[in-house]
Amino acid sequence: MTYAMSEIRSAGRPRKKRLSYATVEPWLYLSPAIVLLVAVLLVPLVIGISYFFRKFSAFKSEYVGLGQYQAMLSDQVLGQALVNTLWWTVASLFFQFFLGLGLALLLDKPFYGRKLVQAVVFLPWAVPSFLSGLTWAWLFNPIVGPLPHWLFALGLKAEPTNVLSDPATAMWGPIVANVWYGIPFFAITLLAALKSIPSEMHEAAAIDGATPWQRFSKLTLPFLAPTIAITVMLRTIWIATFADLIFVMTEGGPAGSTSTVPVYIYVSAFKSLDKGYASAIAVLLLVLLIAYAIALIAIRRSLVRHV
Amino acid sequence: MASVTLQHVEKDYGSLRILHGVDLEIADGEFVVLVGPSGCGKSTLLRMIAGLEEVSGGEIHIGERLVNDVAPKDRDIAMVFQSYALYPHMDVSKNMGFSLMLKKAEKTMIDGRVGSAAKRLGLDSLLGRLPRQLSGGQRQRVAMGRAIVRDPKVFLFDEPLSNLDAKLRVHMRAEIKALHQQLKTTSVYVTHDQIEAMTMADRIVVMHDGYVQQVGAPLDLYDRPANIFVAGFIGSPGMNFLPATVEKGGKVDAVLADGQRLRLPDGLPLKDDDKLTVGLRPEHIRLADDGALKAEVEVVEPLGLSTQFYIKLDNQQVCVFAMGRAGVKPGQTVRLSADPAALHIFDPVSGSRIG
Repeated sequence: MTYAMSEIRSAGRPRKKRLSYATVEPWLYLSPAIVLLVAVLLVPLVIGISYFFRKFSAFKSEYVGLGQYQAMLSDQVLGQALVNTLWWTVASLFFQFFLGLGLALLLDKPFYGRKLVQAVVFLPWAVPSFLSGLTWAWLFNPIVGPLPHWLFALGLKAEPTNVLSDPATAMWGPIVANVWYGIPFFAITLLAALKSIPSEMHEAAAIDGATPWQRFSKLTLPFLAPTIAITVMLRTIWIATFADLIFVMTEGGPAGSTSTVPVYIYVSAFKSLDKGYASAIAVLLLVLLIAYAIALIAIRRSLVRHV
Repeated sequence: MASVTLQHVEKDYGSLRILHGVDLEIADGEFVVLVGPSGCGKSTLLRMIAGLEEVSGGEIHIGERLVNDVAPKDRDIAMVFQSYALYPHMDVSKNMGFSLMLKKAEKTMIDGRVGSAAKRLGLDSLLGRLPRQLSGGQRQRVAMGRAIVRDPKVFLFDEPLSNLDAKLRVHMRAEIKALHQQLKTTSVYVTHDQIEAMTMADRIVVMHDGYVQQVGAPLDLYDRPANIFVAGFIGSPGMNFLPATVEKGGKVDAVLADGQRLRLPDGLPLKDDDKLTVGLRPEHIRLADDGALKAEVEVVEPLGLSTQFYIKLDNQQVCVFAMGRAGVKPGQTVRLSADPAALHIFDPVSGSRIG
């Protein structure tokens, strides 16, 4: 049968809205999630920040206002910890990223036994961080590990001593362990992004006359840029707050040379037993990382505009 | 511009042979369509001409030059991909000028070439847009523009219209054909759609299972298909095939399994009891009160301009095409006739044409 559409449309009755209920109703459905979020995320955060205004000692706590903030300003150990954190984060991130990118590019090319190599490459990710910290500490130990002897044989060190026991080089120990531990993350995510580049685009570029380097710099990199921005951001935050490896390998020593902010927070809270000061430093780290994240998200937005 | 010559071109993937010795001469300025079902090797053949796939055997010449081992960028070809393969982070003008930029051409020269190609394709107002801000048809045009800007000797098209909706496809089909008539660049066009092949090609190459089945002008293929595969592939609605046996008694008849008879043309090398496959195009079966065939109508499809209906003949569904309104109803028994001259007769074993 043929009939006009307007007849059907007029069949429905105009719906009466009860405004008050209609506005509340969606929130009722969302309430379990909201309650959970507030209880699990917001409450601990607020309590943690509230410690910022208090000073704790063995059996009592007192309100000190901005006293912890003032203590922070004159704390030279904290200044050293901030420098260490910057160094630890930048160096780890730099090597993790470039080695991870190189690995992803290699794994994107077909070769015999690729599946096996792929599985092996992702293995460090599966090792618990405490275990890899211990293993690397042993590797650097001249009594049980081979690394100092190799470095000595290569002429990189005058004597086969422990890198971790010299304040000038100690930070390199956890950084090497962290690079080893973090490469798979970049390799996995960048490989996934590489796989999403349509092969026809590379073929079109090959016909257009692009050399392999031009294809990489003018097509692959712009295509990867948004992924790179987001993974670098996530990874920076994780590395900056990651204390396991350092704590297992050096406990922040020798002479505070590997003490990063998270290590210092741990020491303040559980060795000096001043949770207030630990919380104050944690808030500082939080603010720094949020500022960093905002900057990077802005950069990413300008990159994403192109893809 | 240049001719393209394929001499016994073969392609193997390991022990699997995809192309079995393809010979083809494409003349300068010709528009050749490679058509066949998916997996027939048509795209592989095109990619071998482009240099994106290695040649396992035989020779490919573009013009006078043997190009088997020449890199894609040095073959002086341009290719339009099914996915368009536009560079997502470059705007339309950069996409189109990318090849010239890589050649380090003068900026004014690039702008001139891109501008004139954009004008030709109606893209002038879109030069600053990114691919994701364009509709499917516009992206398709940018892909064509990128090819035109290079002013290549040969255009290669790999199913360029498959991602468009039906209406736009018909439109772009005509546009590509018009473009070819202006530029007169040798073109090789791959499609699985026989209507695209029929409407666009100077010559069609029908491929199946890695073999070239037939090469010819569209209507030659339609009127004299070389075998059952080509007969069934070219034409829509497709040709009907009926198995039959030869019986001679003064005139030559093909006897269908249910005993009905079709008169065959004289002068074919046939003898009694030969097995045949008779091919009947839907438009060559006519309703006729004195027709020799009797069948029941099963389904009627009125299209306004024409009517297609399906009859049960010899236990098979046979399609009949009539202009206008046929005036038949499902369940009705009708009499039909078929012109002996319009029959296609094939050997049922080899599939090749007898007459």
